[in-house]
Amino acid sequence: MTPLLEFDNITMRFGGVTALREVNVSINEGEIFALIGPNGAGKTTVFNVVTGVYQPTEGQVRFDGDRIDGMKRFQVTKRGIARTFQNIRLFHNMSAIENVMVGADAHHKTGAIGAVLGLPWHRKEEKRGRERARELLDFVGIGKVEHETAKNLSYGDQRRLEIARALATDPKLLLLDEPAAGMNPAEKNALQALIRKIRDDGRTVLLIEHDMGLVMHISDRLAVLDFGQKIAEGLPQEVQTNQKVIEAYLGVSEDAS
Amino acid sequence: MKGDGVTTQDNTRRSFQPVNGARDWWQHAPMWQRYLVYIALIVFALILPAPWIGSFMSPASDWTSVLIFPIGTYILLAIGLNIVVGLAGMLDLGFVAFFAIGAYTVAIFGTKFGWNVWPTILVGIVLAAVSGVILGAPTLRLRGDYLAIVTLGFGEIVRITAQNTDAIGGARGITNIPHPSPVFGMEFLLDPAPYYYLILVAIVLVIVFSVRLQKSRVGRAWAAIREDEDAAELMGVPTFKFKLLAFAIGAMIGGFAGGIYASKAVFIAPDNFPFILSATILAAVVLGGAGNLPGVILGAFLVAWIPERLRSVEWLKHLLGDKDPAEFRILLFGAVLVLMMALRPEGILPSRQRKAELREGTGGMGSLGAEVAGPDTEAAAEVAK
Repeated sequence: MTPLLEFDNITMRFGGVTALREVNVSINEGEIFALIGPNGAGKTTVFNVVTGVYQPTEGQVRFDGDRIDGMKRFQVTKRGIARTFQNIRLFHNMSAIENVMVGADAHHKTGAIGAVLGLPWHRKEEKRGRERARELLDFVGIGKVEHETAKNLSYGDQRRLEIARALATDPKLLLLDEPAAGMNPAEKNALQALIRKIRDDGRTVLLIEHDMGLVMHISDRLAVLDFGQKIAEGLPQEVQTNQKVIEAYLGVSEDAS
Repeated sequence: MKGDGVTTQDNTRRSFQPVNGARDWWQHAPMWQRYLVYIALIVFALILPAPWIGSFMSPASDWTSVLIFPIGTYILLAIGLNIVVGLAGMLDLGFVAFFAIGAYTVAIFGTKFGWNVWPTILVGIVLAAVSGVILGAPTLRLRGDYLAIVTLGFGEIVRITAQNTDAIGGARGITNIPHPSPVFGMEFLLDPAPYYYLILVAIVLVIVFSVRLQKSRVGRAWAAIREDEDAAELMGVPTFKFKLLAFAIGAMIGGFAGGIYASKAVFIAPDNFPFILSATILAAVVLGGAGNLPGVILGAFLVAWIPERLRSVEWLKHLLGDKDPAEFRILLFGAVLVLMMALRPEGILPSRQRKAELREGTGGMGSLGAEVAGPDTEAAAEVAK
């Protein structure tokens, strides 16, 4: 089976800094794949390369059989990849449902003329987008705050809203950048259930997360980055016992070096 | 202006904030009530040129003419500029260029080729849109301050080109622009009334366009771009396309206003399109409350009307003795503007969303959007973290 997302020898340099060095990762359809590593290891850089924010210095990114490196960001989204952000980047002054509708609009076609003339298909799209946005708000569990301004939502709800907005673009692959950051244990449990639900809906999830409990619990496979290099990949229990990973997280003991 | 009649009853009951009270009422008002308000507003607009209103609104000059220019024209221009500045959050300092292009199109086609005015207004709108795209395509990759400077330059280029091109009259301008042909038995000659109704129809049309756009996918995309351009792009909004669209639609409205202006004015010259007009319209948009249509219309009305009214204020005449108050009106007008912006920096009637954005310092005008630029600025580094 060809993987859904394939990183083929990706190197990403910023001037003299090498953020990613010859990274190879393949993510299969329908799995929850976690990307872990110490701070500054290059995890978010991976997200930025996948979503077209950066063009890799070397290597190729393939998604669903096509090369996507070099595509514009909105085209990557239309192709079926959506993401959330480490520091929440909602449209703060828009209502929750409007935020989600912006995502749903990614596949809508009406332009200015349709909108100005109030053409029937424009109205239909608008109605469908609103319904879909409501469904998604319910799906992530914040249906009640539909008309609330995004910035007035609680932190956890804002994270959920970001997920709903990303899901509205109907992605095959959903990238979650530290979705559990700042959540309490109860919220984390609910988030775990939500991520599973998203996967069971037929989407693939790529996850960056620092909470090891959560990562080990829900991910099918994971990869570990350290200083821009992949140092391990595999099932959670394999990675947990990997010597290199332990060293990256805890440091190397003196006699080992 | 707009909605005054509906606030009084409501605010005593719910709160002491007449603006918010009216807004809440409006949001939940059934359709028939909304249509009643629309009809009332249109009736109000139709009787507005009445001499008894004019006698205190503009005692010094013909009220109907003042309603056409500057008031009506400024309102049209402000609605157009509001799409660029208020909705899409881009700072445009050369909006007068599109007004000039619309006006010159009507003037040139009318005098050189003998075209009827109506089709030339359409041509003017199309040419304004095309020039908007030509200006926008290379420059809309710029953000904030840089875009403002480029548009400022564009406004000046258009004016100076007109001034130096003898084929279109040079600095002397174009005279004998034909009047529009009669419509529904209304003759467009020297009586200003028909032009007032023409500009009224234009304003209503442009308001309907603007509201429909704002409520659609297009308006949402603009709002998203204004709030966080990078996030918008990553959520599948083709930001460049939508910014260009805002620019083109704004330009079309500017061109429309120019066409109507030229057909009434008979004579136009480059001096009719100075930079200060761009600045005045921008002041109208900001003063009224960028992004909120009633506010923008009110802002344009005030910016157009106050200098006219100051021509003949009795107590000023006493104060100044033998000097004509008309000579001091711009000075006074400036003081009024400063006072208004000091008291209500977010505008007289801001949209709720824009008000919040301005307070945060995001969203177009507040921050000029400059800090979310290329891959090596602070904000981009935040995505990259």
